[in-house]
Amino acid sequence: MSIVLSLIRNEFEKTWRSRWIVFVVLGGLFVLIAGGLYTFYVFHEHRWTPPATVSWQSQLQDQITVDQRTIADLEQIKQQGRGGGTVRIGGGGGGDLTLDQAIAQLHQGIADDQYLIDNDIAPVQSFAVAEASLFAMGGIVMFLLIRIFGWLASEQIAGERSDRTITILLSRPASRNQVLFAKAFASFLISLVVVVVTLLIVYAMFSFWFGSPGSLTDQAGVAIDGAKPLGPGNLVQMPIWLFVLMCLGAAMLGVLCVQGMSLLISVLTGRWAAIGITLAVLFGAPLVSAVVAGILFLISGSQDSGHFLSYIFVNVLAPVGSVAPTFGNSAAAAGSGIKEFVSELETLGVWTVGFFLAAWLLFRRKQEAG
Amino acid sequence: MAAIVEVEALSKNFGPVRALSGVSFSVEEGEVLGFLGPNGAGKTTTIRILLGLLHGDGGTAKIGGHDCWTDHARASRFFGATLEQPGFYGFLSGRDNLRQFARMLGPVDEKQITDLLDLVGMTERGDDKVKRYSMGMRQRLALAQALLGKPRLLVLDEPTNGLDPNGIHGLRILLRKLATEQGLTIFFSSHLLSEVEELCDRVVVLHRGEVKAAGPLSELMNVKGFRYRIDVSDVEKALEVVRAVDGARAEPGTIKDSIAVTADTDIARQINHALVYAGVGVDQLVRTEKGLEDVYIQLTGVPVASPLSSPPAPVAPR
Repeated sequence: MSIVLSLIRNEFEKTWRSRWIVFVVLGGLFVLIAGGLYTFYVFHEHRWTPPATVSWQSQLQDQITVDQRTIADLEQIKQQGRGGGTVRIGGGGGGDLTLDQAIAQLHQGIADDQYLIDNDIAPVQSFAVAEASLFAMGGIVMFLLIRIFGWLASEQIAGERSDRTITILLSRPASRNQVLFAKAFASFLISLVVVVVTLLIVYAMFSFWFGSPGSLTDQAGVAIDGAKPLGPGNLVQMPIWLFVLMCLGAAMLGVLCVQGMSLLISVLTGRWAAIGITLAVLFGAPLVSAVVAGILFLISGSQDSGHFLSYIFVNVLAPVGSVAPTFGNSAAAAGSGIKEFVSELETLGVWTVGFFLAAWLLFRRKQEAG
Repeated sequence: MAAIVEVEALSKNFGPVRALSGVSFSVEEGEVLGFLGPNGAGKTTTIRILLGLLHGDGGTAKIGGHDCWTDHARASRFFGATLEQPGFYGFLSGRDNLRQFARMLGPVDEKQITDLLDLVGMTERGDDKVKRYSMGMRQRLALAQALLGKPRLLVLDEPTNGLDPNGIHGLRILLRKLATEQGLTIFFSSHLLSEVEELCDRVVVLHRGEVKAAGPLSELMNVKGFRYRIDVSDVEKALEVVRAVDGARAEPGTIKDSIAVTADTDIARQINHALVYAGVGVDQLVRTEKGLEDVYIQLTGVPVASPLSSPPAPVAPR
């Protein structure tokens, strides 16, 4: 056990001493982003202080009013026979809808929002910490962080091989299992710290945006199936801290999956090949995924046709991104909700186990011929 | 004395290339054993198998009675090692590198690290980053690394690579001191036969993956006959005559109008008669001291490594 702890300590020291500049740059980026957003806020809102806090009930009521106004407009267009019979709502997430489909979707959204108000169930998005979790761990921030973690993990064995330190490392009294475990564990811990710090920084920013940090213990509602109307059988209530942990766990599973893949590549190659292959996969795979999804959409006309791509490893951010928004819950939110979240976690889990298993099997038999 | 290293019928192939073929030898506790062979002979492959970096395709390799691959953690408690072109973390200082590797052996003993840096003459540069070290400094740090944890066996692969003449001399003194004063067993490969000749109790000569000879230096130098220098009137004719004699090997001598001959005493007499009979004038026939270099050339057929020599082609499996 003590040898594993020593190895983990060695990994911390090596990562910090060789890559401290990466962490400093990351910290600098956060300061710049936060400063940029605050400057934007000051110019846009003409104030220096946070906005007044708005209750979630008021937000939902406002949303209902907006939806009712939109329905009235659509009905008017329908009666006048304008609009070409189709319309795009909600940013086009569900593609083009017929007027009738759009109106039905808005009605469902109103019904869902009214259900939440009537049953005093706050949607997750009404909490600053929940929004921060979804943004920090399911969006562009994690997209970039995952690539940095992948890069660092890809050097773990490959870097030792290129530096020729692997001969000392493997000839010392530590088993290969211990060496591999220590490397995987250390890189996971380092990434966990970075993700948690990122979440805290984003939370601070969202707290300002929301006007207050909000509660961490209140109950929040999340849809089980985002495509179906909210109701007793299609809504989960959980403390908001549990929701945050759920997102954190899913994000870290995504990180672990990428680290497993990087470690597998690292076991087989030298430093530059490992970094190159890892980054090519991490940047190339989403691109390929997007192109395939686009082609399928053009052929079928339905965005759901490319949904199976979420079950392929390439989309490691899918689980957090799939947590159903209870605002505007509708047919357009197909492929979201707790059910989808769990399915994608299972997929990711299988990939993660597969990567680590392959890395372990190869590393314990890998011959270092120099 | 008990054997601390036991290698028995070890074989290893890299694809179609046979690297080791039935290699067997042992290293007794407390001795200094030289591991000789030209480039590509299989020395580094053998050492990598001993260190647990490779596993053999056949045979066994044990250190301290523990298999080097299946029981690596126990076997590695016995030795410290350096490989050719030692690697370190360039972004860490020499001292921090030693701390890294010391941690794998137990609690870090700062005094031992300071003493080892002092022992290899790196006290002044110990806190500099390794990326600023010369090859010689890296070699010295590698030796300090190998001595961490006070091993019973030191495995050194070409430890004089990159060292200047002073460094080589210093290393020779240090290794001799470690062997005599601390009773350390030393197993080292080298191209420098003079080093091996001066330091080793025994040698193992490896060529094309096979052990060509193994034993005490004194025995090895006599086993293949004596070395003679014959000053003659006609070198070409003399070579022709001597090469026709069974049991004699001849080549042009390093001194003008002389040939170098390896043969047993009675054969030498026959050579003398044959030369005179053939009309070759013999000014003198002198038995010279045979060095390890001669034995090495005889056993391997490869001249001692020089900047112009190229490694032999790999041997395809039979």
